[in-house]
Amino acid sequence: MLSVDNLVVRYGAVSAVRDLSLKVGRGELVALLGPNGAGKSSTINALTGLVTPASGRIVLDGQDISRVRTEDRIRAGLTSTPEGRHIFANLTVGENLRLGAAIRRDPKGVRQDIERFLALFPVLSERYGQAAGTLSGGEQQMLAIARSLMSRPKLLLLDEPSLGLAPKIVVQIFDFIGELKAEGLTLLVVEQNARQALRFADRVYVVSAGTLRHSGPPSSLADEHGLFNLYIGG
Amino acid sequence: MARFEVSQAIEETASPPAAVAQPRAALTRSLIGGLVTSLPVLVVGLLILNFAPTYYTYLALGAFVNLIVVVGLQVFMGNSNIANLGHSAFVGLGAYGVAILSTPLAMKKLSIPNAPFGFATLQLDPVSSALIALIMVGIVAAVSGKVISRLSGVAATIVSLALLIIVHSVFLNWTNLFKGNQAFFGIPKVVGLPWMMVFSVVVIVLARLFKDSRWGLQLRASAQSPQAAAALGIDARRLRLMSWVLSALICGLAGVLYAYFAGTISPKLFYFQMIFNTLAMLILGGMATVTGAVTGVIVLSVGLEFIRSIESGVTIAGIQLPQLLGLSGVALGVVIVLCMAFRPSGISGRYELDELLSRLFRRNAK
Repeated sequence: MLSVDNLVVRYGAVSAVRDLSLKVGRGELVALLGPNGAGKSSTINALTGLVTPASGRIVLDGQDISRVRTEDRIRAGLTSTPEGRHIFANLTVGENLRLGAAIRRDPKGVRQDIERFLALFPVLSERYGQAAGTLSGGEQQMLAIARSLMSRPKLLLLDEPSLGLAPKIVVQIFDFIGELKAEGLTLLVVEQNARQALRFADRVYVVSAGTLRHSGPPSSLADEHGLFNLYIGG
Repeated sequence: MARFEVSQAIEETASPPAAVAQPRAALTRSLIGGLVTSLPVLVVGLLILNFAPTYYTYLALGAFVNLIVVVGLQVFMGNSNIANLGHSAFVGLGAYGVAILSTPLAMKKLSIPNAPFGFATLQLDPVSSALIALIMVGIVAAVSGKVISRLSGVAATIVSLALLIIVHSVFLNWTNLFKGNQAFFGIPKVVGLPWMMVFSVVVIVLARLFKDSRWGLQLRASAQSPQAAAALGIDARRLRLMSWVLSALICGLAGVLYAYFAGTISPKLFYFQMIFNTLAMLILGGMATVTGAVTGVIVLSVGLEFIRSIESGVTIAGIQLPQLLGLSGVALGVVIVLCMAFRPSGISGRYELDELLSRLFRRNAK
């Protein structure tokens, strides 16, 4: 579904991502792991079009989207949930959800989707008219994911969904991510929290210092214990 | 300025769940909201129209021009959260536009006999003059907006300030067309209080419709979190440009109306003094809402008039107070400082008048 070939991202003279290639198949949940500053977020930003890659190709469903605007990538079915949630704190929960459908032109479908998410998350329904900033961290992360899903993506990129959340909440978030996968959504999850990310992952990539260090099934990470410790830290 | 007020937000009662708004219902609500917001303006206007002496009518006309400018300012600042220090350039362009196009030929012979492009021998009716002036304002806004919308924050503000200075210098130095520092007189006085009220209501409703529209909502979202908005495919530049042009057109309209009621204009009217007055009004009232713009204009117009009466020295209980020239300027500065320090979201905060009223009713009904 998604294939990235020899991606290079540079900020001035600094290369954040060097020659990175990866593939995500339809219906897969792929985890992209690595320590802080490994180039994970830069990879995501290149995939969503927030930064322009210096070189490399990004192909989604056979279509080269390396130089396409974010808007059109979302239309093509690729949406991301940025790191740190970034919900619109002063706007209501309902407005946040509506904004997720910014590129859509079918008001009826948008309304149906909002109702579906409200049924799915009673908390969001209770706070529908309330400022999103009043939600707890976990609820905000749920809202951020629901907001991304409002664009009806085929492939969802999640950038550090566990960031800044209590362990119990992180488990809930990943339970939900597992449900999304079960429903048939393709996911690429960037994480530092390897244990949670590996619960539902079909395959794993490990990056460090902008280059790919390892790829394979989750079990391969557990086998090579040294690698696990080196790049993920327990 | 976009500081999130937790205490205020927690006070709220939750809206009925799952009340997902129908698009048409949302439009109607926003239309009614705009009309509710303009109600106080209409009441004040009608009272002055029917009961007040001429002097107050004249003052009210000035206040209405300020109202339209401040609402125009809110359209850009309130939604994009970027301070604009150049909007009175558009007020000036609107005013000079109609002055050059609609002033009777006999008057032009006295004031701008050497005007270029045949303007010295051209006289159009007030309505077409206004339309052409607004088109000119739109063009200048589109060009300057191209630059402003690429920037954000302080950089955009500085460019808006540069625009003000450029336009002012052109007014001052292109004497053949704008008559320089001298007053441009003889503009037909065709606008009175009733027209001013009509346009105020139109502009208030327009500003509210923009704020509640998908563009307004997306712009407000991108001002809060540029990153998240970009990730959702929201084109912040295009939206900033859109609100900049709409804001400029409203300010230009204010200039047109000013020229048509005052009959005489000069460049200094459309310079820093106007920027500070209107900015203070918007900040005091609260820039996040159209209601804030209206509130700020009413409160500060009345307040400044009161201060002006003290300024010239008054006698209270037999004690003659000294003249306090410049008091209104000091008061303006103090208002901005106090407001920023103690209530950065302004008097009206985050809610429009109709939203506050419906909240109040709901709470009482419980």
